[in-house]
This record gives sequence, structure tokens and C-alpha cells, in this order.
Amino acid sequence: MEQEEIIRLNHVNFYYGECRALTDISMRFRKNRVTALIGPSGCGKSTLLRLLNRMNELIDGTKVEGEILFEGRNIYAPDVDPVEIRRKIGMVFQKPNPFPKTIYNNIAYGPRLTGVKVEDMDALVEQSLRQAVLWDEVKDILNKSAMNLSGGQQQRLCIARALAMKPDVLLMDEPTSALDPISTAKIEELIEELKKDYTIIIVTHNMQQAARISDETAFFYLGNLVEYNGTEKIFTNPDVKQTEDYITGRFG
Amino acid sequence: MIFHGEKMKTQSMSRRYLKQSVFFALVRASALMITLALGGIIAYIVFNGYSVIRWDFITKPPTDSMTKGGIMPAIVGTVYLTVGAIFIALPLGIASAVYLTEYARQGRIVRMIKVGVNCLAGVPSVVFGLFGLGFFVIFLKFGSSILAGSLTLGFLILPTIIGASEEALKSVPQTFREASLSLGVSKWQTIYRIVLPNALPGILTGSILGIGRAAGETAPIMFTAAAFFTAKLPSSIFDEVMALPYHIYVLATAGTNIEATRPIQYGTVLVLVAVVLGIDLIAIIIRGYMRRNKRW
Repeated sequence: MEQEEIIRLNHVNFYYGECRALTDISMRFRKNRVTALIGPSGCGKSTLLRLLNRMNELIDGTKVEGEILFEGRNIYAPDVDPVEIRRKIGMVFQKPNPFPKTIYNNIAYGPRLTGVKVEDMDALVEQSLRQAVLWDEVKDILNKSAMNLSGGQQQRLCIARALAMKPDVLLMDEPTSALDPISTAKIEELIEELKKDYTIIIVTHNMQQAARISDETAFFYLGNLVEYNGTEKIFTNPDVKQTEDYITGRFG
Repeated sequence: MIFHGEKMKTQSMSRRYLKQSVFFALVRASALMITLALGGIIAYIVFNGYSVIRWDFITKPPTDSMTKGGIMPAIVGTVYLTVGAIFIALPLGIASAVYLTEYARQGRIVRMIKVGVNCLAGVPSVVFGLFGLGFFVIFLKFGSSILAGSLTLGFLILPTIIGASEEALKSVPQTFREASLSLGVSKWQTIYRIVLPNALPGILTGSILGIGRAAGETAPIMFTAAAFFTAKLPSSIFDEVMALPYHIYVLATAGTNIEATRPIQYGTVLVLVAVVLGIDLIAIIIRGYMRRNKRW
């Protein structure tokens, strides 16, 4: 393994009540890589993503089996506080969801409330917005409501908001599915830029997007991990027939 | 045949059109009736009551066995009781609603609590009055006082406030909670910083209904707070007060000269309506202030 692993799943099962959504998943995510999770709707890829920052437990009646190690530590161990985990593993959602606050306060919200010592909040806000390539567009309207931004700008604001917490990992749940092609292109460029400093795990329905931006791709079907390989390999010469069928559009 | 068919079609069209007009007319008539009824009541009160409304009427206490003078102590009493009830019911109601919607595991127990709250909303107000008499006035030894009356009225409007708060909390998009939690912000901070501020305008809307009820009820304060007559204003929350609804009741049923006080009764009703609207207006202004910038 030429690069350090940051997250490892060991025989993970996940249940919504009686219904099993993920079956015996074992995989590892590498540091400073973009990993794409693909598969048809309902295959468990979003569920897996939300397992990694313990967001699934907000739903009553869910159950996790197996281990999920983040930097060698099981995040589902009884002594682990999910709030701690979520500070290190940030998330961007399918629909842009800025708070009904000013642009500035959207970014400052997380650092302020989590008791992180910030010497210069203005600098942190600027840095986060620059990282999300939004600074030039909003630097004169920082005190205007974030709800006035366009969908694509809102999504980049949400990325900036997550980055302000200085996480190690950024989870992205179909971050461009609600956006137009130009905004999508901007976010894809941004992901390319961000992987220097962050590990990115992205769920996408868009096969071209997975091929364009990811280093590794995992294909899920009916709660099983079917194939996990380098992106180029998956898209040119997959090991499993099912993967090929899905990628070439024969089902899904 | 074609001609016949066309005729059939026009017939059925005109019949449908007729049905539609009849239905619209009925709906309009209902709306008009409600408006007329409301307008009628207000016009009747104003017409009968306006003659006694003078500066002295709202700034002086009653005189001559309440057949002359003003109603100032009753206005002050009602404002105290209503504001007191809101200060008791609002925090308690919001806290209950936060627990029920944000913390409690949704299941049988929460359902039972919600049924209980709804039942409480349907309990006749005189029952609250007797409860207030037994518990606050006698058992806790508050006596007949602003405190006992406010508590009783507070409990009376609690179900309304809980219901409104629950609805308002549920209407805050789940994505806000998720976004906040995903940043590593704790659940309580998420509720305090994101959920509650966005729910407050809705909570206030529901509370306005409670305010009207608290100000207008007679039975709950009859045994717990209201004085038949007192010219002096209360100096502490353990004092009895006059109150507008009870004053109306007294003038209309138990006065020494009921006929002579007719205009004063209507005048008092007019003032009561104005006081309720005034308190509502304050709530509406606060809500408007909080709603700025709050859209999603």
C-alpha cells in the first residue's frame, strides 16, 4: 500500500429496524485520495457514507455491527463521542443547506460553537471561502443572508462551512445532483484542489463524474460491495461482470 | 348523430357549469356569513359601548357601587394576569415541546403524552379554576392573588402553547439539524442556536391564540385571583386584582343596579377586546421582527 489508510471498515453490517441495508462490508479508504461510491439507488452507498460520521444514528431503530476504524480507533466504541468524530469528518449534503444566517455566520457557526480557539475569525472565514473558491464572489456581501446565493454558490458555501472545522475527511453525498452543469464543473474542480489537503469520499449517481474526479471507485449493489478498484481499472476493465453491466448502462 | 352528441356535450357542460356556480355561491355565502357575524358582534359592542369610553373611564377606578367611574384596576389586573400566564406557560410549553419533538424516542409513551396534552386542552375552564383554588390558593397558600391566577391561566393555555410549539419545531427543516450536527455541534447547541430561533415565529403565532384565551377567561380567575372590587392597584404578586372578564360578569349578574350599568358593561367588553388585540399586536410585532431574514 503506497499511501496511508485513514478509514477501515471490518465486516460492517447495518440495519434499519429488521431490514439489512449493508452486508459484510470490508474496505479501506486512503488518505488524500478521492474515493467515489457508485451504484443504483437503494444500494446502500449513502447509508455507508453516513455511517462514517455517525449520522445514521439520528434515525431511531438503526443498528451497526462490525468495526469502523478512523485512524486506527473504532468510532463506534462506547467511549467515543459522535460529536468528536463529526468535527474530524465533515459532510456536504445532496441539497445545499446553508443556515438562514449571514454568509459570515454560516462559516463561523461551527468553530464558534465547538469551542475551537480561533485567534482571527475573519481570517478563518476568508481562508475557508477561498478554499471553496467562493471568496471573490461573496467578499463584499459577507453580512448578507446566505439564502440569497444561487444553488451552486450555496453548495460551495456549505463546503466552506465544513472546511472551517478543519476536518481530516470530507464526506460528500451527491453534492452536485441539485446543481446546473456550470456549478457542477466548479465543484468538481474544487474537489480536485481539495484532495491535496483532505481525504474525500463522494457518493455520486453520475458515472462520468466518478470517472473524472476519483482515484478509486467502489461499486455497490443491494447492500453489497461488488467491486473496489482504481477508478481507471473499474471504468476500462472491471473484474466483475456486474460492474461492467452497470457502468455500460445495462442496468441500474 | 353528431349533432345529437354535440348537444349532449353542451348540456353536460352547462350542467357542470351550473353546479360549479352553485357551489361557489355556497362557499362565498359561508365566508360572508362568518365575516358578517364577526363584524356584527364588534359593531354591536362598539355601538353600545363607545358612549362610556372616555379618558376617565380607563384611568379611574369605579365609584358609586360600580355604577359610575372607570375600570382602570380591572384593565391593570387583566394585563398582569395575562402577561403572568404567558411568562409561566411559554417557557414550560416550549420546553415540553422541545422534549417531545427533539429528544423523546417517538413511540407509545410520547403518543400517550400527546393524547394527554390534547385532553387537557379540552378540559372546561372551570375545572382549571377549581384546581387552582385547591392547589395554588389553599394548598400552596398563595391566597387569591395574581400569582395563583396567572399560574391557573398558564396551565389553561399550556396545551395550546405545546401544540403550537410542536408544530413550529417540526416545520424547521431536518436539513438544518443535519447540517449543524455534521459540523460536530452538539444536539443541545443545535436546538438552541438553529432549531429554536427558526421555530420562534411559529411558536408566537400559536401563543397569540393562548393570549386571547387567557385574557378572556372568567372561570379560572373567579376563585384564584379576581376581586369583586378593589380601588387600589396591586403592590405585589400576592395581591388580589380586579379583572375585565370578571368585572363584566359581576356587572351583568351581581351588581346592585344591573340596568344602570349596561353601558359600562359594553364599554368594559370593548376595552377587553382592545386589550387582547393590543397584546396580540405586541406578539405580532415581535414575530415580524424575528422573521426578518428567516426564509428557506
